[in-house]
Amino acid sequence: MGRYLLRRLGFALLLVLVVSSASLLLTRLAPGDVTTEQALVLDPEARARLRAELGLDRPLAVQYLTWLGGVARLDFGRSLLYSRPVSTLVGERALNTAVLAGVALLLATVIGLPLGAYSGSQSRGLGRAVVRVCSVIALSVPPLIGSLALVFLAARTGWLPVGGMTSASGMDQAWPQWLADLARHLPVPALALALPLAATLERLQSEAMVKAVHEPFVAASRARGLGPIQAVIRHAWPVSLRSVLGLYGVMIGALFSGSFVVEVVTSWPGLGRLMYDALKARDLYLVAGCAASGAFFLAAATLLTDVLLAFADPRVRSEEAQ
Amino acid sequence: MNRQPRALLSVLLLGLIAFMGWRWWSSQQDHADQGTEIVFSDVSTRGGVLTSSLRSEPRSFNRWVDRTSPTVFMSHLMQSTLVRINRSTQEVEPGLAESWTASADNRTFTLTLREATWSDGTPFTSADVVFTFQAIYDPKAGSILAGSLQVNGQPLVVTAPDARTVVIGFPGSFGPGIAILDNLVLAPKHKLQAALAAGTFAQTWGVATSPDQLVSLGPFVLARYEPGQRLVFERNPRYWKKDAAGVVLPYLDQIVLDVVPDQDAELVRLQAGQIDMLQQQVRPEDIATLRPLVDQGKLQLLELGVGTDPDLFFFNLRPERWAKDPRGSWIMRREFRQAISHAVDREAFANTVFLGAGVPIWGPITPGNQQWFSPNVPRYSFSVERAKALLAGLGLANRDADEWLEDEKGTEARFTLLTFRGNTSLERSATVLREDLRPIGIAVDVVALEQGALIERMLKGDFESIFFFFSSSSFDPAMSPDFWLSSGSGHIWNIGQATPATEWEKQIDDLMHQMTASVAPAERKRLFDQVQNIFAENLPAIHFVAPRMYIGVSSRVSSLSPSILRPQLLWAADTITVRSPPVTGQGGR
Repeated sequence: MGRYLLRRLGFALLLVLVVSSASLLLTRLAPGDVTTEQALVLDPEARARLRAELGLDRPLAVQYLTWLGGVARLDFGRSLLYSRPVSTLVGERALNTAVLAGVALLLATVIGLPLGAYSGSQSRGLGRAVVRVCSVIALSVPPLIGSLALVFLAARTGWLPVGGMTSASGMDQAWPQWLADLARHLPVPALALALPLAATLERLQSEAMVKAVHEPFVAASRARGLGPIQAVIRHAWPVSLRSVLGLYGVMIGALFSGSFVVEVVTSWPGLGRLMYDALKARDLYLVAGCAASGAFFLAAATLLTDVLLAFADPRVRSEEAQ
Repeated sequence: MNRQPRALLSVLLLGLIAFMGWRWWSSQQDHADQGTEIVFSDVSTRGGVLTSSLRSEPRSFNRWVDRTSPTVFMSHLMQSTLVRINRSTQEVEPGLAESWTASADNRTFTLTLREATWSDGTPFTSADVVFTFQAIYDPKAGSILAGSLQVNGQPLVVTAPDARTVVIGFPGSFGPGIAILDNLVLAPKHKLQAALAAGTFAQTWGVATSPDQLVSLGPFVLARYEPGQRLVFERNPRYWKKDAAGVVLPYLDQIVLDVVPDQDAELVRLQAGQIDMLQQQVRPEDIATLRPLVDQGKLQLLELGVGTDPDLFFFNLRPERWAKDPRGSWIMRREFRQAISHAVDREAFANTVFLGAGVPIWGPITPGNQQWFSPNVPRYSFSVERAKALLAGLGLANRDADEWLEDEKGTEARFTLLTFRGNTSLERSATVLREDLRPIGIAVDVVALEQGALIERMLKGDFESIFFFFSSSSFDPAMSPDFWLSSGSGHIWNIGQATPATEWEKQIDDLMHQMTASVAPAERKRLFDQVQNIFAENLPAIHFVAPRMYIGVSSRVSSLSPSILRPQLLWAADTITVRSPPVTGQGGR
């Protein structure tokens, strides 16, 4: 197990390095740089001076190796856009995204898995049909439309704040009030992220459950006298989780790196929005930092789900032991 | 119970639940609608919080090196200038300089400063003014304001005989005169002189700076910056300005700028009463959405007038671009550009791109710029026949079976048009242009690029034609020399020429130099009318339609001085007042 973990850790580090390096190099190779926006008001000499100050006039290889040297010391450089350390900026925003992603994942799990288990264990019926229709709708609505619809609903009803992470008065409040304020701002972006994920989980769980309920050991458990619900919960569900849990790593990675549409629409100050702004402005160090962060979370989540999988499915444990 | 009745019962039960849910939602809606009604009783001129949106967050708090919108907006709230151009009246009015005198040759201005203090209590003196000029002109500081504070490419000479007097010498005669100081954002010497001496001025006042370090001479001070979320400004108790009744401004207690990156979400927030005003004009397609709220008295839709920065279409007019390309023989000819101008139905263009909220134009100065607009420039009426005749005069004719023209060597009349991906009015404009040129046999290949890539290709001259925008920050064309002069960095069809490439560009250069140097308003207008005529005859850039600009504001906001220039409302934030806040539903701010 130790060797397995070490191998996975090495793979995670390699993934972070490759993804962040590729992001930096591609951003550097794309037309324009962080001074482009000012090019129409700066004379060429002033722009050249600014590029030199920012180190953008150096050859690509020198720039990359200098950055790589910094990364070896866990220094991801300074953002060209905000003149702040990349690690600080990414840290602030990753925390905000983590809050959103965590709640979205929880919601997706709470909604998706039980519904999937239910629809997969039923061969027919109205409830199963309703669940399937809802899942298809949630899967086919693009995140932009979904989040705009939720924002519109929140605005129309006035039940929840339309956007942002806290209220303007939030920072002045005591911790409990601040948390309550945060909790009021979470449902719209969290649901926008969670609904398609819940639908994915439901579909996957349902299909896995259909297969699992027909396994011989489930029939054997029924023959031993277990009721249908108990047989599903005790025997079929844990086995069906194997394929579902494998998806969690990818989902967490996607939540950390691909939620920018929802973050933009709901004004959530997260990592996705930071990366989008960095890409638009060609802030190559910040792009690399954000990409590294996304890759790190993807690798960590994949590792975590593998461990969880080992606990959930006895066959995996025995495979590892062999 | 068998399966069929059970299923029927389930359907009925679900229907009943859905109906009850709808009834309950409707009743909530009625209450919410009642709740968002504006309360007009508690009218006040002092106090209150105004919430506005901000489409992106600041990259720096240092206005001397950053010109992005959030930093400029902040500057309007936190800084004062010696004099300011009133964005509504377009007149120069006193600021921290309470009076001034000009020398007989209009080259030396002596300003008397009013007694004022920075928000931290430090007196504002002439030393701050001198220091500001030092910082702006210091190459190491990299100030983006340096170019706009020069006359004939030379810096102004600034001296301070005493603490309340500043003498500003112009290196040459300059038509806009003292108005040039509208660009001068004053820097606190006591806070920034160490950074300037250390060569770190450009890095100071970054977004990580504590708000209490950002001293202000303006109506507000930054109280809090929540990255990615909002900026909160509070009244500067030491602000120098008073209203006619002697009440110290500003009237508002607080301004909150919420960062809302998405324009649709921004609109929804305005509709929900969670922000009081938009920071940008309302898109034409959103006007109909806001009308019902205007009719209900919840919202004001202010018409600001005709926009002063219309989108423009231009060819690459660098001779070297076309040296080896046979198409250069007709693209570089003004008759070709005139044919394009004739081929476009500007009324239909306004209806398609701006949904009718636009006016046809024939040059870069629109009717929105009342002082400098010339109604007498050559106009190109919509005429496909006239366009075809001009093209025929260039030797372009249909020589094969397809629908496109060819020149005498058989080269097809086709070019690539680059535009800005994501900008709906530009993308629509490019499509309309392509369709309008089809009937006259010119093929256009539209390519939408991301903004950075587009600007980079424009700067390198790596393009055939572009549909883009060009923003100016002033009504006076003398303050936009980069656009008009052939040597300018904003002369986008042929940037930064060492000497004028064409005779007409030389004429424009000469006229602009004369116009900039002249101090007689009528003479300046006469000279600039000539510039506009030459521009319209040669069409280095073709303008089709200028949009009518609207901005959405909550009805509880009053005492507004709308301007066509950005920031349209917050440029005069010190006089804005709000009525008591609307009682919104649970989703209120």
